[in-house]
Amino acid sequence: MTPDVGNYLLVSAAMFTIGLVGVIVRRSPLVVLLSLELMLNSANLVLVAFGRYHGGQDGQIFALVVMGVAAAEVVVGLGLIVAMERRRMLLDTDEIAELRG
Amino acid sequence: MTIQATAWVAYGLPLAGCVLIALLGNALPRRLAGIIASGAMLGAFAFSVVVFLRLRGRTADARSIHSTLWTWLSAGSFKVNMDILVDPLSAVMLLIVTGVGFLIHVYSVGYMHGDVEERRYFAYLNLFVFSMLILVLAGNFVLLLAGWGMVGLSSYLLIGFWHQKASAVAAAKKAFVMNAVGDVGLAIGIFMIFKQLGTVDYLTVFERHNELGFGSSTINGICLMLLVGGLAKSAQLPLHTWLPDAMEGPTPVSALIHAATMVTAGVYLIARMNPLYSYAPDVQHLIVVIGVAGLLMAGLTALTQTDIKRVIAFSTMSQIAYMFVGVGLGAYWTGIYHLTTHAFFKALLFMGAGVVIHALSGEQDIRKMGGLKRWLPRTYVCMWIGTLALAGFPLISSAASKDSILAAGLEVGGTWGTLAFVGGVAGALLTGIYASRLMYVVFHGPTADQAAHDAEHHTAHGEGPATMTLPVYILAALTLVAGFLQFPSLTTGMSTWLEPTTYGTVQMVEAGTSNEWIATAAGSIAGILGILIATVLWRAGRSAPVAFPRPLAILSERRFFWDELYHYALFVPTAWLANLLRGSLERYVFLAAPDAVGSLAGVASRRLSVLQTGIVRIYALAFAVGVAGLVLYFMVQAA
Repeated sequence: MTPDVGNYLLVSAAMFTIGLVGVIVRRSPLVVLLSLELMLNSANLVLVAFGRYHGGQDGQIFALVVMGVAAAEVVVGLGLIVAMERRRMLLDTDEIAELRG
Repeated sequence: MTIQATAWVAYGLPLAGCVLIALLGNALPRRLAGIIASGAMLGAFAFSVVVFLRLRGRTADARSIHSTLWTWLSAGSFKVNMDILVDPLSAVMLLIVTGVGFLIHVYSVGYMHGDVEERRYFAYLNLFVFSMLILVLAGNFVLLLAGWGMVGLSSYLLIGFWHQKASAVAAAKKAFVMNAVGDVGLAIGIFMIFKQLGTVDYLTVFERHNELGFGSSTINGICLMLLVGGLAKSAQLPLHTWLPDAMEGPTPVSALIHAATMVTAGVYLIARMNPLYSYAPDVQHLIVVIGVAGLLMAGLTALTQTDIKRVIAFSTMSQIAYMFVGVGLGAYWTGIYHLTTHAFFKALLFMGAGVVIHALSGEQDIRKMGGLKRWLPRTYVCMWIGTLALAGFPLISSAASKDSILAAGLEVGGTWGTLAFVGGVAGALLTGIYASRLMYVVFHGPTADQAAHDAEHHTAHGEGPATMTLPVYILAALTLVAGFLQFPSLTTGMSTWLEPTTYGTVQMVEAGTSNEWIATAAGSIAGILGILIATVLWRAGRSAPVAFPRPLAILSERRFFWDELYHYALFVPTAWLANLLRGSLERYVFLAAPDAVGSLAGVASRRLSVLQTGIVRIYALAFAVGVAGLVLYFMVQAA
């Protein structure tokens, strides 16, 4: 017996909120990246759940694409963090505010 | 080849020359530019001669040939063709423009040799000839206007050819502005024709000219506006002040544009529009008055000018005034006849003056010349031929053509005819005086030291390069024989040839034999008397102690204060108004308003830039709140 699609949505909403709060509240770039992943995967969960619900493969394929994009994004993000570390910069997103108007 | 095709080739050759020189640019050896330009002109002249001969081979009533290449523009029922009208009148103009044009191109090869911008000069010169051909061959009014404007443009380019000279640039601008006034007049005239008749095609307009009504205010208005165009282009009162200044251009340009061809366009225009002008007697009388006033004023002014080219420029103005009198009297052929002989002898005089200037390293002030016949004997003889022609010495060109205008005055009679005759004879006397004065002052008497030194140096190998002297000799020969195109009791070449150019009921005025002889006698006596007076006064050359009555001298030297009149009547009030507006409207409205808009944007953006904190978490928060807001909004909408 498969659970109702509503349950998946609830779990997904919870994951998304945790991720969002993490992005907004935390200042460590590493944790911000983690939180972002959480948000992306909550979206993936919804995609797959609806895919199953409708009986098609579109949602699952789309989730795979999102994973690919997320992997690429993490590479860039981690690269930035490594670069910051090598320049002995403080790993704090609030400190990188050169674009202040 | 048909006549049409021949005419089109003559039309296209100067354009081809201009384009070729312009495209080759620096790749072209400087010497070659002149050869290409002259070659194009020789070709155009050869084709023009063929056109003329084949036109002659036809019967008189089959000499009007209209040819269309393509439709230039069309909008509804309005259609303008790229067409030409070849008839006896345009054939005469074609021969003069290409023939005299060719000689002056050849002369330019010698005169402009060594100028850094020879190529540009010859490209302009060919462009001018092409524009002039558009003007004289046009088969409709729009093409005429195009030619009219292009001629003004090439004249502007050539007057200001030596653009490093501030005075030349100023003169070019002055000529262009004055001509623009004329262009506007011409354009308005054409608008009026189109409004009345719904067409801009020459032949249709000429056929239907009686629909405008004899002497009606409509036709008077049309003719008046066309006349404004003619007055500006032909340097007649009151739009003449640009011509003396135009002498800043190279001398061959003065010979070609400001003596032989362009400035006679006004005369051509009136002769071409004879079906219109013959229906507007009031405007015709006005033309006679302007002509007589202009020829006397220009003659008086020429008496005291000290620049060799300006003296000749004022004589040009005076001679064109004669032509205006001729066409104003309805004797259209006399105007064209004088135009033809004038093209020869005036180009001759200018080119002679060019030889003198060339020999004196660019000196143009006749007070610094004198006694030059020792170094320039051949030029001296040629220029005397031109001077005698100008003064109306019996048997030499102008005698026949100018006197035909006087004869037309006698024939027409009444107030206007008599005015034309008396004014013309008085003008002939003046012409004799100022023309001969120039010769005595330049060629007789003692020589200024600097001039003697320069002349000695420059004439060591003859009077100038063959390219300069040969055209002068050819023009001198033409000047001697041109008077026999039409001579009382002898030949009627001109009036017979131009007879078919009138349309409908228009009759050209042709003087009876007795009037012709009276006019010839009066004109010749006046001319010879003038020459004698000049001989008595200026026998001693530039050192001759000649004093005019003071008021006359002032009027003449200051050129009847026309420049001052325009300065105070037009320039000063305009400048005053402009300054006033600059201090008020410009400063407080046109400058302040854009500044206000600009500073508003600056202030607003500075205020808004506070939002740009640079802290990523705040952006994320704003983003999340925004998305949440949108989601809420759509949920509420959907519910």
